[in-house]
Amino acid sequence: SKWKESLVERTISRKTTNLMQLVYGKSETKPDDSSHEDIDADASDEDDEFFKPKSEGNKKSSKGLEGDEVNTDDSSKFTNYASIKDWKDGEIIESIRDRFVTGDWSKAAQRGKAADNDND
Amino acid sequence: MGKISYMKLKGSQNLRQRLLLATLSSTPILIEDIRADATWPGLLPHEVSFLRLLETVSDDCHVEINETGTKLKYKPGIVMGGRYLEHDCGLSRSIGYFLEPLIVLGLFGKKPLSIKLKGITNDPKDPSVDTFRSATLPLLKRFGVPSEGLELKIESRGVAPKGGGEVTLSVPIIHNSLKAVTWTDEGMVKRIRGISFSTRVSVQFENTMIHAARGIFNRLLPDVHIYTDHKAGAQAGNSPGYGISLVAETTSGCFVSVDTTISYTRGNDDMDIDERKELMPPEEVGEEIASLLLGEIEQGGVIDSTHQGLLFLLCALCPQDISKVRVGKLVPYGIQTLRNIRDFLGVKFVIKPEPATGTVMLKCIGCGLKNLSRKLS
Repeated sequence: SKWKESLVERTISRKTTNLMQLVYGKSETKPDDSSHEDIDADASDEDDEFFKPKSEGNKKSSKGLEGDEVNTDDSSKFTNYASIKDWKDGEIIESIRDRFVTGDWSKAAQRGKAADNDND
Repeated sequence: MGKISYMKLKGSQNLRQRLLLATLSSTPILIEDIRADATWPGLLPHEVSFLRLLETVSDDCHVEINETGTKLKYKPGIVMGGRYLEHDCGLSRSIGYFLEPLIVLGLFGKKPLSIKLKGITNDPKDPSVDTFRSATLPLLKRFGVPSEGLELKIESRGVAPKGGGEVTLSVPIIHNSLKAVTWTDEGMVKRIRGISFSTRVSVQFENTMIHAARGIFNRLLPDVHIYTDHKAGAQAGNSPGYGISLVAETTSGCFVSVDTTISYTRGNDDMDIDERKELMPPEEVGEEIASLLLGEIEQGGVIDSTHQGLLFLLCALCPQDISKVRVGKLVPYGIQTLRNIRDFLGVKFVIKPEPATGTVMLKCIGCGLKNLSRKLS
């Protein structure tokens, strides 16, 4: 019935925003890195120790997926070594057969169609 | 003179893209805290070099860097373009690092751009010049960039650490704006092309790489051609190295590419490179690169992971039409690009995962950037 439709719609919209939240953050469009001038909170402790050793571990922190870290490496190249598979294996190679012209053409066509249907 | 209001940013991440977007959207920016805590603080040589490059191709732009290089003020000018320009990219990053923003910038110039870039042509960190020719330039054409005047010529190759390569990039200007795309059909892979190269080593390295890569493709596709490009003498640059780039072309005109380069790393930059790594043998290189290409194909999407950033950027620069594209998994650089696009151009994408294929659909309305530099003449 009618009331159910709106519920379904709402669930779908909630699901799809997840990826958008990941990219754009939870709140509104306020850009997160263009912040106003902050006064350093630890400015007052500076008298205690004139020299402060900077932790080396801090700067070598991993290039996290979050991308929230400042000063990460600036490179567009993405090489996915993590999910590299043994493509010499017969079964694994058959799993992407349909993405090649030597595979099943109707399955490839379906891939394209699925996209057209659920959008708009 | 009126006071300029600067957009305030922090950190060194995405410096190239921020500068590029600042130039395109004529937004002056002020970046603070650039590696303030690092052992070598401030801007790195390649970043300064990129700023010099911006000054070369544009007029009336203003760059101010503080003493330690941790603070940067940039007021964009007008992109002029022009012929017979030259730029030394240095040796801290490869030419690919400079090409990526430059091709977009060139499109919105006053005159067509033609520039000679010197430095490292192939390197594992940035897309190689071969990938640019085989995958990046076709991507631009999708968005209505005229194909005449769009080319990258490799005069000589050079790998790390000493470089010595040289390429000439020509970018035409777009006369009004780009063309929005609906690009969701990945098609099926119909052929695989590639090019291997070797500088100051035996051509046998290339043959071994190609043989190993072909061994993996053979069971999937007969149409595989990998060309060799053995350089000798002055054309081979100053350091030994070898590498291979592959591109899979689909029935719907998508190009999925991967590349790799094997060479010695620079010794001067990092203190702890006493233990010189053994170079990866060519047979493993060939197998690995073929596996990576199949991985990209498996993931789906109309482009490979490396080109996500450029794809999103072009979509956002389109006129106020809907662009719709499909990619595989979102990669960190792609996500960063989406955020930068929102901050500078005010374009937000609608991002929808597609569980059936494991791909992601992105939709946006372009910001309608016109080539204003051209109108002035």
